[in-house]
Amino acid sequence: MKSNHIQHLYWRVGFGILPNELEKFSKKSKKKIVDGIIETSQKVTPLKVDTAELDELLSGSYEKTKENIKKFQKLSREKTKELNIAWIDRLANSNQILREKMTLFWANHFVCEDNNYVYTQNFHNRLREHALGNFKDFVKAISKEAAMTKYLNTKQNKKQKPNENFARELMELFTLGVGNYTENDIKESAKAFTGYSHNLKGEFVFKKRVHDETDKIFFGKTGNFDGDDIVDLILEKRECATFICTKIYSYFVNDTINEQHVNEMANVFYKDYNIENLMRYMMLADWFYDDENMGTKIKSPIELLVGLKTVVPVDFKSSKQLFNLQKLLGQVLLNPPNVAGWKGGRSWIDSNTITLRLKLPSIILNNAYISKVKAGKTDESILKSKQAFKKKYGQRFKTETNWAVFDTHFNDVAITDLDKYLLACTISNQASTYLNSLSKVSKQEYCIQLMSLPEYQMC
Amino acid sequence: MDRRKFLKQSSLASSLFFVPSFVKAFEQVAQSQLGYKRLVIIQLSGGNDGLNTVIPYQNDLYYKARPSLGIKKSEVLKLNDEVGLHKSLKPLKHLYNNGNLCVINNVGYPNPIRSHFRSMDIWQTATDSDKYSQSGWLGRYLDQYGKHPYSAIEINDSLSLAMKGEQMNAIATQDAKTLYNLSKDPYFKNVIKHQDDAHLSEHNLGYLYKSMISAESSAKYIYETSKTFSSKTDYPQNYFAKQLKTTAQFINSGLDTKVFYSALGGFDTHVNQLGAQNRLLNIYAESIEAFVNDLKTNNTFNDTLILTFSEFGRRVKQNANVGTDHGTSNNVFIIGGQLKKQGLYNDMASLSDLDTNGDLKFEIDFRTIYATVLNKWLDVNDEKVLNRSFNQLGFI
Repeated sequence: MKSNHIQHLYWRVGFGILPNELEKFSKKSKKKIVDGIIETSQKVTPLKVDTAELDELLSGSYEKTKENIKKFQKLSREKTKELNIAWIDRLANSNQILREKMTLFWANHFVCEDNNYVYTQNFHNRLREHALGNFKDFVKAISKEAAMTKYLNTKQNKKQKPNENFARELMELFTLGVGNYTENDIKESAKAFTGYSHNLKGEFVFKKRVHDETDKIFFGKTGNFDGDDIVDLILEKRECATFICTKIYSYFVNDTINEQHVNEMANVFYKDYNIENLMRYMMLADWFYDDENMGTKIKSPIELLVGLKTVVPVDFKSSKQLFNLQKLLGQVLLNPPNVAGWKGGRSWIDSNTITLRLKLPSIILNNAYISKVKAGKTDESILKSKQAFKKKYGQRFKTETNWAVFDTHFNDVAITDLDKYLLACTISNQASTYLNSLSKVSKQEYCIQLMSLPEYQMC
Repeated sequence: MDRRKFLKQSSLASSLFFVPSFVKAFEQVAQSQLGYKRLVIIQLSGGNDGLNTVIPYQNDLYYKARPSLGIKKSEVLKLNDEVGLHKSLKPLKHLYNNGNLCVINNVGYPNPIRSHFRSMDIWQTATDSDKYSQSGWLGRYLDQYGKHPYSAIEINDSLSLAMKGEQMNAIATQDAKTLYNLSKDPYFKNVIKHQDDAHLSEHNLGYLYKSMISAESSAKYIYETSKTFSSKTDYPQNYFAKQLKTTAQFINSGLDTKVFYSALGGFDTHVNQLGAQNRLLNIYAESIEAFVNDLKTNNTFNDTLILTFSEFGRRVKQNANVGTDHGTSNNVFIIGGQLKKQGLYNDMASLSDLDTNGDLKFEIDFRTIYATVLNKWLDVNDEKVLNRSFNQLGFI
C-alpha cells in the first residue's frame, strides 16, 4: 500500500503514524492492513478509574447515603476530570486504534453527560463496548443507560405525564435526523419509553407501574410497543442507515458529503447494521483515498492534541492545565456543549482557536519558541530566547516533553523529508518560500516550524 | 453549498481582505462617538419559559395550566392590570418605568420546530423553518455592510452561526489581550503574508489561512483600542456579567464595532423549573442593570440597542416534574434610550386558543424585528441581509 495512503488511513481511523510503522506497513496490501486494524481492535479494554471511595459513600443506609450526596457529587466532578485525562492518555497510547477512534466518534453521537461519576463511567465504557458492534443493540443499550435516562429525562417519563425529550432526540439526533418523523410520532413513541429507570448502582430498572400499556400509533403501525420495539421500527427505515453513514462519512472521510459514496455505505449498513462491516467497507473503498479526501479535514482539538503527543510524547504536569487547554480549544471530553455534540469541521475554527492552535505546538513542546533564524545563520541566542519564552508562557502550560523518543523515531528520516511525515497536505507556495528562507537549525526546531503551519491543522 | 459556489464566494472573500480599508483600519482614530449606533444581542439558550417571565397574572387559565409552577399574583412585578414581570426582573421593571424597555409578545415563526438546535439555527439564520442556511443573519450583515471582521464581535470562546457570513466571519473573543499576545509571533505574520487568492480559495486549508489573517489583524486592533478604557461600574460576579462588562469596555473605548453578541444558557427547565429560572433571570437582570448603568455613565446608552431572545418559549401546561417542555412563541425584550414604543408592544397571546400541541400561537415573526433593527437602527437595507422583505415594526 502506498505510504501516503497508509498515512491518510491512520490519520482518519487513528491519530497518525510514526516512520518505523509506516515503513513496516508499506510492504503490505491494503486488505492486510485494514484486516490488521480491525483485528487489533477486537478486544475491548474498559477505561476505569478507582471508584472505591465513591462506592463507599453510597454503601450505607438510605439516610446515610442522603447525607453523603453533596460529597458524592463533589468527588464525582473530580473523578470525571480524572477520566478525561485518562481518556486522552488512552487515545495517545492504545493499539486498539479503531475502537478508540470510534468510541470518540460515538461519544459525539450518543451525547450524554451526568453528575454521577459511576454512571458516567458506565456510559463511557458502553460506548467502547458497542463501538464496532451491532447498531441496533447499541441504541437499545444506550436507551437503558442510567446516565442517558437522566440526561434526556426518560426517568421522568411516566404514563400519567409523558416527557418527550428522549423520544425526540432519539429520532432527531441518534437515528433518523429532522424531517423523517412527525410530532405525533414523538408523542406516541414517548409513551413506549415510559417506565425506564435505574437503581442506585446505575443498573436498568423497568418500572411497570408507570409504563403506558396502551396501543401506540407509530410510523403508521399500531401496537402496544415498548422502547425496544420503537428502536426496531426506527431502524427498519433506510433513512436511519443513511443518517448514520452520512455522519460517519463526514467524520472519517470528508465534511463535504458525496451522496453516492454515502449511499454505497448505507447499502452495506442497512443489511444488518453491523458497524465493523461498515468501517471495513469504508477503509477498503477506493474513493476513501481520493485526492479530495486526503489532508482536507480540519483536525478536531483532540486530534490535534493527541496527534502532537504521538510525534513528541508530552505530559502536562498539571491535569488542570490540560483540562483548561481543551476548554480553550473548544472540546472538553465528557463535557459536550449540548445533546447535539460538537459540530466539527470549520466550526472548530474562529479567531480565538486558530490563533491558539497555531501557537500550541511551540507552547507545549518548545517553550513557545519558533525559530526564525535566517538560512545560513546560526542561532546563538536560541537558549536565551527559550528561557525568556519559558518565563512568559511557562506558567500557563507546564509540560514535560520527551524529545529523545522523537529523535529515535525520526533518526533515519532526512530533515528535508520531515514535512512528508508530519503534514497531511502540501505546503502552500508562499509558506514554503518563507520556510526555505529560514535555517533548518535542527530536526526539533524544524518539526516545531512545520507544526506551526496552518497545514499541520489538516488531516 | 456546491464546490463551485464555494470557490466563487471564497475568492470574493479573500479579495475583500486586501482592500486598503482593511489594512488602514488600524491607523484610524476611534470614530466620533456621537450617533454611532450599536446593537447588542443577548441569547437566552435552552428556551426560556416566557410565560413565567412576562406573566398574565389575572388569567385563570394560566394558573389552571400551572398549578404548582405558576408565579403567585403577590410575587409578580405588575406592569399593568393584567401583565407583570417575574420577581427576579426588578431591574427590568426600572427600565420599564423609565421608558427604556419594550416587550414584544408572541414572537415566533410559522411551522415552529421544538428542537433546541434546529430552532436556534432558525433564529440565528433567519430562514423559514423548513430551510437550512450555512450563514447567520448577522454574518450576512457583515458580508454586506461590515467593513472588518471585528465589525461584529461575539464575547465567547467560539462563534455562533448567527455571526458567520457567506464570506466574512465575526470575531469571537473573551479576552483581547490574550488573543493579541498569541497572534503576534512574526513567524505567523510571515507565513500568512502574500497568500494569493487561489490558495485562500482552497477548501478547508484556505479557510484556516483566512481565519488567521483576520484574527491577527483584528486582535491587534481590538486590544490596542479597548485597553484605552477601563470601566468603573461594579458588575455581579458571574460569567454572563463578565461578557457584558467586556462588551461595555469595547463600546466605551470607541471600538469600530456595530454588533455584539453574548449568551446566557441553562434555560432548558424540564425539571424543577422554579429555582433554576429564578436564579437565571436574576443573573440576567442584575447583569443588564450594571451594563446599562455603565453605558449611561459613559453616554453611550442612547446609541446602543439591546435585543434579548430565546429559541422558543415553553409549553403552557406544566409537566409532571414541575417543569415545562419545549414550546413555541416567546417574548423578546428591546432595551434602549430611543424607543418609539415603550412598555408592552402588544397584548399577550390567548391561553384558550392554543395549537394542537398545547402551545401558544405566534403573532409576530421574529424576522420582522430583525428587519426593523437592520433598517431603522443599523440603517441598512434589511432585504439584502434577510433575502426577503418583511414588515417593519414601530418600536424604534
